[in-house]
Amino acid sequence: MKQRLVVIGGVASGTKTAAKAIRENPDLEITVITEEDYISYAGCGLPYYIGNVIRDKKHLTVMNPEKFKEKGITVLLHTRAEKIIPSQKVVKAKDMVTGEEKEFPYDKLVLATGAKPIVPPIPGIELKNVYVLRSVTDAFKIRDAVEKEGIKKAVVVGGGFIGLEVAENLTLRGVKVTLVELLDQILPNFDKEIALLAEKHLKEKGVEVFTSEKALSIEGKDGKATALLTDKRKIDADMVLLSIGVKPDTQLAAGAGIELGIKGAIKVNENMETNIHDIYAVGDCAENINLVTGKPAWFPMGSTANKMGRVAALNLYPKGEKESLEGVLGTTVVKLFDINVAKTGLSEKDAKNAGYNIITVIVPAHDRAHYYPGAKNIITKLIVDKATHRLLGAQIIGEGVVDKPIDIAATVITLKGTVEDMAKLDLAYAPPFSSAMSSTIVAANVARNKLLGKLEGISPLELKDRLSDPELQIIDVREEAEYLVGTIPGARNIPLKEIRQRAGEIDKQRETVVLCKIGLRAYLAYITLKHLGVQKLKILDGGVTAWPFELE
Amino acid sequence: MAEIKIDAKCLQCPGPIVQLFNAVKSAQSGDVIVVEATDRGFYKDVQAWCKKTGNELLSLEDGDVIVARVKKA
Repeated sequence: MKQRLVVIGGVASGTKTAAKAIRENPDLEITVITEEDYISYAGCGLPYYIGNVIRDKKHLTVMNPEKFKEKGITVLLHTRAEKIIPSQKVVKAKDMVTGEEKEFPYDKLVLATGAKPIVPPIPGIELKNVYVLRSVTDAFKIRDAVEKEGIKKAVVVGGGFIGLEVAENLTLRGVKVTLVELLDQILPNFDKEIALLAEKHLKEKGVEVFTSEKALSIEGKDGKATALLTDKRKIDADMVLLSIGVKPDTQLAAGAGIELGIKGAIKVNENMETNIHDIYAVGDCAENINLVTGKPAWFPMGSTANKMGRVAALNLYPKGEKESLEGVLGTTVVKLFDINVAKTGLSEKDAKNAGYNIITVIVPAHDRAHYYPGAKNIITKLIVDKATHRLLGAQIIGEGVVDKPIDIAATVITLKGTVEDMAKLDLAYAPPFSSAMSSTIVAANVARNKLLGKLEGISPLELKDRLSDPELQIIDVREEAEYLVGTIPGARNIPLKEIRQRAGEIDKQRETVVLCKIGLRAYLAYITLKHLGVQKLKILDGGVTAWPFELE
Repeated sequence: MAEIKIDAKCLQCPGPIVQLFNAVKSAQSGDVIVVEATDRGFYKDVQAWCKKTGNELLSLEDGDVIVARVKKA
């Protein structure tokens, strides 16, 4: 008799598992069941469908059940798995259209039930024009509302990737968007100074952003949303999008006695096996291992989901050694209007929470030769372990290319590389692509200098906290013209070329912060002033370029 | 009234704003300084600089090359 594989869930990891499983085992009888109307859709592309960047509905769905049929895989839509009985190796399901109860016996079972949006329990969520964005159907409804109902004002609750991408796409369609975030920053996985730079850009693009603000209820008239009430104000809106996050969809698994792990995601080993024999879990419903800390983590991302699907498929009937996924870094990238933001590995706060003793650097640079047309700025933050010099994490933000350098950082972290390794990488260079000393290498070298004690830095957040400290003097070593454009509040101007003659104006006993545009001239001033006997000296990490607060 | 052209393209730090500053310093009141720059930051910087110094920003074009026309006060 043929071996039977049942896959529950048909978006990224479920369809990946099925497609790989049939290639590995052509005789396998595979059934994918999903309660949704579509399979294998581009979940991450949905905000761009709302923005009409992806114009046609059909471009969102890569595959359909007919194409799977050709591969020998049966896909059943609108079919909700209701119960797993591991002792009998059977899945009980219901056809949501006909109401018919069905049973699916299996030899191997893969759970790919994904994640579902968290809907805050606030009054008014049942009103019309209150949405979440998770499925293709959600995206259709939102775009229809924008196009047919003439939505003018929208409130997005939640400043994660989806919320921000929708905020951008609605804004580009002429909708006035207000973003409300409960935490004190948007992009909750990023460090605050990076998140603040992103927030600054959103505001410049016309998105109103309110952080540390709690959504309390949605007001409506004639059944339609008219405003969001927060703990601080009332925001008029004819559409409300709730995107406060997602949680793993594991009700089915829990009901079958499958062990859950971090954040309620299904516990799996590196072979994607659950605690119950012949049951595997992949994608957003399952947990991962953080490759840096070695601890369980939950990274619900399409890229990770696909890898997990492949691993599970290979391990159904392993030929030789089992395939494994040792862990992931949570590498992400997002476009917000004219800037790109990316992250890999641990953030500064993650690293501190995990007990690492770290140094950080913030280094602005161009993404290609500064003289080549189209060169744009990017700001690189590195988080480095003091003891081993290993790179633990990186975050990059700017108008320029960020995905290449973040992928380099991800590679370095995966291979357990140090900043010394990173600084010596032989990277591709020609003016249209990079600089002779690429931003990655420059950032690694700044980190090496810091580790060697050649310079001491102060982060923008730390300096902001100490602006009113009378013990502190701040010296801007840029040219007068640049200083006039805007500087850190309270900074005095002594241009680098005058620093030697005018060193007497600096009180050697006080703590001194030097700064420039990106950090290079500040470093030169630092060396000179150190030499002249200024002891308590620091450089502002990232200079004026990475300062996320107001200049004066 | 003279028109002074400055090619400040492809400059690294300190950048075009310093070139503009020096040109304005040596120009006569009413002279127009036209700066061409590729530094992306110049687009915002020149607006802030004119506001602070009281020189008039006659026009500002964005693009691969940013062109600012500044009239000395």
